[in-house]
Amino acid sequence: MIVTNTETVAGYDIVAVCGLVQGNTVRAKHAGRDIAAGLKNLMGGELRGYTELLTESRREAMQRMLAQAQQLEANAVVNVRFTTSAVTAGAAELYAYGTAVSVTPSY
Amino acid sequence: MPGNLMLLMIQLLLFAGPLVLFGLVIGRSVEKRHFRRLDKFEQAHQDFLVTQLKSFPMSSVVEPPPSLLVAEVVIASDYLKSWFAQWRNLFGGEVHSFQTLQTRAKREAVARLTQSAIRQGYNAMCNVRIEPVDVGGALSNRRSPMAAVLATATAYHTDRAV
Repeated sequence: MIVTNTETVAGYDIVAVCGLVQGNTVRAKHAGRDIAAGLKNLMGGELRGYTELLTESRREAMQRMLAQAQQLEANAVVNVRFTTSAVTAGAAELYAYGTAVSVTPSY
Repeated sequence: MPGNLMLLMIQLLLFAGPLVLFGLVIGRSVEKRHFRRLDKFEQAHQDFLVTQLKSFPMSSVVEPPPSLLVAEVVIASDYLKSWFAQWRNLFGGEVHSFQTLQTRAKREAVARLTQSAIRQGYNAMCNVRIEPVDVGGALSNRRSPMAAVLATATAYHTDRAV
């Protein structure tokens, strides 16, 4: 599966558009990470726990999006976008969406 | 507003002193080291083409096929920065301490995109998009200021000399 955040795939022609595919996940950060973040907020530096949380959520959302694309028998997803929104204090949604298409090499 | 000022004064007297010192010593050095690392990385990968153009400017693309790159970065503020920002809140104006925090997060995100592109055998990327994200509803939590960004791009392998 070719996945890009551009509208086209360079070197490939889009032969069919299968439609919008999407995937989302709502994740809560656990208290341990909050405590670690509290300490990090004294001295600065990367909040690895939160970065990992984002990575996990993003992978999950993308997996769900790609599963939809597979169902539509697409071989590429173009113009992929990610957005987040707070559901409550302590939980956020990560949403991935794109357009599933069929592509063939143009060379 | 006077209540706010009172709060700041009490904070300063009781426990901000040592914590501000902590931020001054450790926070500053963490930031300096981070900027040095970014400078070094960017200098070492100057020949890697990075654009935020919507489509690839040079049509000569070879295998492997283009692919999506994603990178996440969450960087914490330190006590000194947060404290400076609280003072800024009284008078208004540019919050320089948070400006450098945001810059670090964004440059780090692009560096990570570059790194993962190189690891997968690509030599260019376009359509770089950097956006702020919400970590676990964290934007509503004012006690722990942080810069959280998610960056995406499309990686290419081109045989055209850049």
